[in-house]
Amino acid sequence: MPKQEFDVLIIGSGHSGGMAASVLTQKGISCLMLDAGPEVDLTKNRVSKAPWDLPYRGFNKPGRLPHVVQANEFNANQWVDEKEIPYTHDPANPYNWVRVRFVGGRSLFWGRQSFRLSDWEFNAAEIDGTGDSWPIRHADLDPFYSKTEAIFRVSGRKEGKAHFPDGNFLDADYGPDSTTVKKITDIATARGFLVSKIRASNGRNGQASSVNLLLPDALATGKLQIVPNAIVRQITVDKNTGLANGAYFVDRHSREELHVKARVVVLAAGTLESTRLLLNSGLANSSGVLGHYLIDQLYGVQVVASVPEARGGNVPEGMMGGTALLPRFRNLKKGEGRNFIKGYGMMIASGGGASPGFFREYGEELQKKLDLHAGACMTASIYGERVPRFENHARINKNVTDAWGIPVLHIDVKDSANEYNMAKDAADTAEEMMKAAGWDILSKTDKFHPPGYSIHEVGSCRMGDNPKTSVLNKWNQCHDVKNMFVVDGGCFVTCGWQNTTLTMLALAMRASEYLADQMKARAI
Amino acid sequence: MAAAPAVPAALVLEQATQAQTPAARPAGQPIANGKRDAVGEPVAHFFTAPQLAALRRLSDLLMPPMKGEPGALDAGVPEFLDFLIGQSPADRKQLYRSGLDMLNAHAAKQFGKPFAELDAKQADAIVRPLLVLVPWSFELPKEPGARFLAAAHDDIRTATRNSREVSAAAVAAGRRPLGAQLYFLPVDPIYKG
Repeated sequence: MPKQEFDVLIIGSGHSGGMAASVLTQKGISCLMLDAGPEVDLTKNRVSKAPWDLPYRGFNKPGRLPHVVQANEFNANQWVDEKEIPYTHDPANPYNWVRVRFVGGRSLFWGRQSFRLSDWEFNAAEIDGTGDSWPIRHADLDPFYSKTEAIFRVSGRKEGKAHFPDGNFLDADYGPDSTTVKKITDIATARGFLVSKIRASNGRNGQASSVNLLLPDALATGKLQIVPNAIVRQITVDKNTGLANGAYFVDRHSREELHVKARVVVLAAGTLESTRLLLNSGLANSSGVLGHYLIDQLYGVQVVASVPEARGGNVPEGMMGGTALLPRFRNLKKGEGRNFIKGYGMMIASGGGASPGFFREYGEELQKKLDLHAGACMTASIYGERVPRFENHARINKNVTDAWGIPVLHIDVKDSANEYNMAKDAADTAEEMMKAAGWDILSKTDKFHPPGYSIHEVGSCRMGDNPKTSVLNKWNQCHDVKNMFVVDGGCFVTCGWQNTTLTMLALAMRASEYLADQMKARAI
Repeated sequence: MAAAPAVPAALVLEQATQAQTPAARPAGQPIANGKRDAVGEPVAHFFTAPQLAALRRLSDLLMPPMKGEPGALDAGVPEFLDFLIGQSPADRKQLYRSGLDMLNAHAAKQFGKPFAELDAKQADAIVRPLLVLVPWSFELPKEPGARFLAAAHDDIRTATRNSREVSAAAVAAGRRPLGAQLYFLPVDPIYKG
């Protein structure tokens, strides 16, 4: 018996797939969602354990998840098994691809920081004097940001600054600033830097995922089916029209292969998985830029200082605690004459302790130092923006396949002088401000993690007005295949310093509304 | 002491069974109520005897009992690291083996005996020059001796802190037990047939 042809096939069920399903089904469009992973119930799937009751005393099983710095023995099962689904890279150029395969994807675990991109990012080419700008501006995305912020219940403090656009916020109660946060705020303000606060998705009932905020509305329409454990291997195309008409998928358990038919295909498998699927399908790459311009953010730079008045285990009341967020403050004007373009945000947290590696001590002497500085430390860390470059790319490695016989990605990404110079500036700037506050620097490093670590990888299916230099148009629609959309982070032209999720969600909403209108008008 | 009456064993068993009903299985509790490391002694077999002896001395030096809390030796850290490193990738195995051999070689050269037999001052003379600052914990020092010491220092501290013994001591002192976290269970593992 011939099976149903769905209006839209959505591949992936994380934030972007969930948003597409929510928008499309509520406009009466029937959707099938395939996800490569199983369904997980987070309330039942996590149990409290002591480290000594785990086989490796809290150390992760040696050699498991070598690329996931975030992994430990407690959370090891939440990440994709690197042996089951490998990827390759030159050993000299490590890339940390951090993946989750469950219904809901990485939306189950994200950090929830929710910032908008500004026109300093959308209009990057003009400000940087090099590279490419997005085909859209903040004003184009503003209404979709607002609707997304309402769904995710984003709280934040409004600042009225165009380079850190305000949103449709719930009131956030940050409490009174501690005296150390006040001090660093004054010092940063005196240097002309805006100082703000974290903006975060509150979600509902402790979760801000696709599974609890997006998919329930879609399911309520009766227009959505979600099939777990369905690994899409290839998108299929009608030979006569060149349009996508469905996909082959493989059952995760049995490896049985099936085919599903759809009038429209929406890819939301995550930047690199969507890229891998398009490359394996031989689609959407007439420009030759598919897989290229892969970017993420630069994390790891850290400066730690100790506040003399807070030492010795007796922190005066109101002195420590809280955070200050410095949105990007570099290269906001053209011609600042720095040895790097773009910028970084900085988070300064009050009230932490020191690490053993900060001292050349061991045993009781080390413990005395750790006790002395406990709770008395200020820690500055950064969110740096990497530069999109054509050379930084992912391609198919035909010699290696995953557990289902699907060719894997080879990822080839290197940092450039811009990243190293930015990291150095960030560490120097944090040090200078902390010294000005009268605090003692315990540790300063301008080192940072390999690409991929931030879990904010974007850009390998970039959007643009010119089909010769971009994969998608400004509506996330493939230039080459008009009934195919990529609504995840792949479409980013620049990554910004800001956490990527809120922008991904707003773009997925905008693309899905456009798609629904086009389908209604029978243009697709 | 009066001699016990001679009753056949089989009869005693029968009477006992008749006299009482079996205890109910404890509700909500596992039948297997023991812990491997609470009943068994770890058997070290990865490091050579001189390497393990050096690791014991190093563990006690870097993480001695402090403020009434158990130290690395009380927490069975050397034996645990013998297991952990024995399971690890080749580069980490080599880092430890050559690092411990190096400690013994320095001890033999400077004091004419193995590292395990050095007093605190002698051991310090060997360890102190290898201690370097590690401002970024994700990257170990390049120089092999410093690299080994930084890795071992971190591992010895973590293995001590994460031990049953240290946590039990914290509880006994009226503090919270250390280290319990939410463990993410495996989800729908692939069907192997």
